[in-house]
Amino acid sequence: MKAVILAAGEGKRLRPLTETMPKVMLPVANKPVLEYVFDAVKNSGIDEIVVVVGYKKEVIMEYFKEYEGVEIIYVVQDKQLGTSHALLQTKKHINEPFIVLSGDNIIDQKSISKLIRNESEYSMLVKETLYPSKYGVVTSEKNILKELVEKPPTEKLKRFVSTGIYKLSNSIFDTIENATSQGDYSLSSVVQSTVEQGKKISTILADIWMDIAYPWDILSIDEAMVHNIPSSLGGIIEKGVTLKGRVSIGNNTTVHSGCYIVGPVIIGDGCEIGPNACIFPSTAIGDNSVIHPFSEIRNSVIMNDVHIGSNSFISHSIVGRGSTIGHNFSSMVGKANMEVEGEFKKLENIGAIVGADCSIESHVVIDPGKIIGTRCAIGSMNRIIKNISSNIKVM
Amino acid sequence: MCGIIGYTGHRAANEVLIESLKRLEYRGYDSAGIAIIGEKLQTFKEVGEIEALQYTIPKIKGNLGIGHTRWATHGKVSKENAHPHLSCDSKIAIVHNGIIENFRVLREELEAKGHTFTSQTDSEIIAHLIEDEYEGNLEKAVFSSIKKIKGSFAFVAICEDEPEKLVGARNESPLIVGVGDNENFLASDVTALLKFTNRVFYLDDGEFCTVTKDSIHIFDRDNTEIQKEENMIEWDFNDAKKSGFPHFMLKEIYEQSDSVQRVLRGRISEIDRSIDLPDKVENLLNDAINSIHIVACGTSLYSGLVGKYLIEKITNIPVFVEISSEYKYFGIKNSSSLVVFITQSGETADTLSALKKAKNAGSRTIVVTNVIGSTATRIADGFVLTQCGPEIGVAATKTFTSQILTLLLIALKIAVVRKQLGTDEIYNYIRSLKNVPRQIRQVLAQSDKIADMAKHLKDAKSVFFIGRGVNYPLSLEGALKLKEISYIHAEGFAAGEIKHGPFALLTKDTPVVAIVTRDFTYDKIISNIGEIKARGSKVIAIADEKDTEIEKHLDFVLRFPTNTGLLSCVSITVILQLLAYHVAKLRGCSIDKPRNLAKSVTVE
Repeated sequence: MKAVILAAGEGKRLRPLTETMPKVMLPVANKPVLEYVFDAVKNSGIDEIVVVVGYKKEVIMEYFKEYEGVEIIYVVQDKQLGTSHALLQTKKHINEPFIVLSGDNIIDQKSISKLIRNESEYSMLVKETLYPSKYGVVTSEKNILKELVEKPPTEKLKRFVSTGIYKLSNSIFDTIENATSQGDYSLSSVVQSTVEQGKKISTILADIWMDIAYPWDILSIDEAMVHNIPSSLGGIIEKGVTLKGRVSIGNNTTVHSGCYIVGPVIIGDGCEIGPNACIFPSTAIGDNSVIHPFSEIRNSVIMNDVHIGSNSFISHSIVGRGSTIGHNFSSMVGKANMEVEGEFKKLENIGAIVGADCSIESHVVIDPGKIIGTRCAIGSMNRIIKNISSNIKVM
Repeated sequence: MCGIIGYTGHRAANEVLIESLKRLEYRGYDSAGIAIIGEKLQTFKEVGEIEALQYTIPKIKGNLGIGHTRWATHGKVSKENAHPHLSCDSKIAIVHNGIIENFRVLREELEAKGHTFTSQTDSEIIAHLIEDEYEGNLEKAVFSSIKKIKGSFAFVAICEDEPEKLVGARNESPLIVGVGDNENFLASDVTALLKFTNRVFYLDDGEFCTVTKDSIHIFDRDNTEIQKEENMIEWDFNDAKKSGFPHFMLKEIYEQSDSVQRVLRGRISEIDRSIDLPDKVENLLNDAINSIHIVACGTSLYSGLVGKYLIEKITNIPVFVEISSEYKYFGIKNSSSLVVFITQSGETADTLSALKKAKNAGSRTIVVTNVIGSTATRIADGFVLTQCGPEIGVAATKTFTSQILTLLLIALKIAVVRKQLGTDEIYNYIRSLKNVPRQIRQVLAQSDKIADMAKHLKDAKSVFFIGRGVNYPLSLEGALKLKEISYIHAEGFAAGEIKHGPFALLTKDTPVVAIVTRDFTYDKIISNIGEIKARGSKVIAIADEKDTEIEKHLDFVLRFPTNTGLLSCVSITVILQLLAYHVAKLRGCSIDKPRNLAKSVTVE
């Protein structure tokens, strides 16, 4: 069986992190979300993946050039009109029943196997959530889909929602072509109209399904996933390093003397840590990053190619790829009201969110929940009390 | 210059040969052929690319065979001249890569004995020579044949009467033995085999081997069987796939933010402020060095020229950059100089023979190459790997940038050894180096803008590239990339040289690409641009993102991210590569396989 993975979207709500990479490439425990999807699909026995790419497609194609064990075909969706339009691009590669998944949701292999093994022609994975308003809400009877309503008005009720993961037959392409000709590009409404045509769609409960909707979701999902990373020690661990719990350290990484690392922590390849740096639970540090002496990092995601100067404190924070942070940096942690695309969220414990390729000089303090855009430059001795848009210089 | 493959094992030889030839196509692609022994020996050959031939090749049955993809050196491109070549009785078939220097003499001798030749190639004599020597044992016939042949060769021979056996021989052209389970291979290089195995033996000059599906015997030039060390190759097969990119070249351009990281990994330490190179290389750098020669061809030569500016600035040691084929015959070779050879494949014939000459003259030799186990690494006193994985596009991209950074690391190491740089300066260089991958990503994000700029070049008959200092060799490289893939005539010049001649060629229809960095030559190059603009030519500048002056002087600007210590040369290179790529794409050129060119040139 083939799998179609939709990975063309930009992820506007995840800006500034998605300004330099598509949403599916955001790292969770040092692996892009899309790689979790690839792994789950491959391990459930699928041998060919058709990936629909669009926004910043080269980042995806370059990353997966060495991915093994499954044939990967790329299909380009030039304009990101919607999910069913994206699926339609794969029509010529599909001539049998297939599964379709979105590349930006983490899913486990067991759930996919359940979906594949299910006998009915059409089936879908559903999951309970406390925040149904962002998704398609599912009403089903005896595990048969009755109704799928996309983004219903806000209601704080525990409801089953569609994970966007379906098993379909290739006759769905006719329905999609009908819908798109009328300007409807959403896969949910195509599914809804197949129900209305009288087709039976089985609903199956997914085990693990996680969606990154907002930048700070990366922290909680990372925390959940970093727990599953087994300990492994590559590179050089100097004498006098203390490692507790599950710690994974990549090849060519050097952990200098006096470091204190409490797992779960994952550190990528080619990093330099310490001496005398402390890294506390639920932290992921990407490849080629350098953490200078006497810095403390906890509950944070540090992406690839990041430089963090000495005596810095980073907690509940995200630092985007390629950013350099000078010494004595501090992320303040606390309550914050976050605004994304007109929506407001209250967070209890949040530090700084720093976009990719920023350059922050020494002695900078960032207030809780403040978001720094891509390629910002912040001069020394600044306290940042409001969000900074991309490409801005703070003197 | 050709690619050869031999297979024996449990699979259908037909499929293995075609698959492997596709991977070898970068070595030549004007014609191809296969010979397979099933019930009897059958051959098929045709003019064209494998991509086109794979559908026309008949499904010849059999589990043993040889294949060849050709890049003509002797005799024109034709079906007759394509390999495999057969003996008179059509029982012996061979595929050959290299040049037989004494083929005329041998051919006359063989013709006198009654052999009839069907092609104009030098290769065909091998088949007849083996037939002449054949007395029921193929390896004996091959052994006595190679005694008579002068020149460079790697060939594989098969014989219908011994249908289980491949015999391969090597002298100055690459040949490796691939080890499988119940199957074995012979090939010009590893990329051909990665789909099937990553275990290989490297043959050395003068050696030959007999391979069956379950045995491998290797012999030296005295016909004594020898034991060799088996090597594991870390490249994986997927490295040689396009992974969704329309061309290998574009894929390899995009890989550069990763490949430059691989050059640096494990070699620089920000915390320790240290540069680490392989011990053998460090020992060579420890000695007193009065001068450095850099010897290379093509793109590698230009990376050597960039290296000259970097090494001279950092170490104050004079650097002489020489063309391999010239240096071999005319270069001054002595024991007091350090000679750095640059060859992507480690098999470039011109560079190898220059390397041998220098080594014999007592020079200390270092090779910068991408291929571990290649001939060059086994001859030189020390080698540094660029570690960027296989490069398939004929136009070199990621290996160029990796070579530049390797030369920079060598320069920094020399400066450390000679105490010319303090730890603070080393630290600053390391920080600048670490910025390079990010800056490449920033350039790649501008690809659309560069594609837009390419429209100004696509209809030009001729394009000039100009720059000063390290930007001069970059101009040469920018022009080389453009001419080799888009077939537009292009020349790179030192900006100050334009007025000493090339100006005569400049018309308003000659676009000029000017590389402008904010150093002490800034005013000079701005006035050069003024001179060119006065002739009505269109000028595209490649300028620092912080340069706010430049727009006042011309109409079109592409930006590279600011970096210190000469390191912006890497970002500038990526812009030049993308510019050439987009121009070639607009012109509908065959980007990965430009006409008349081959990836690694193993003939002199």
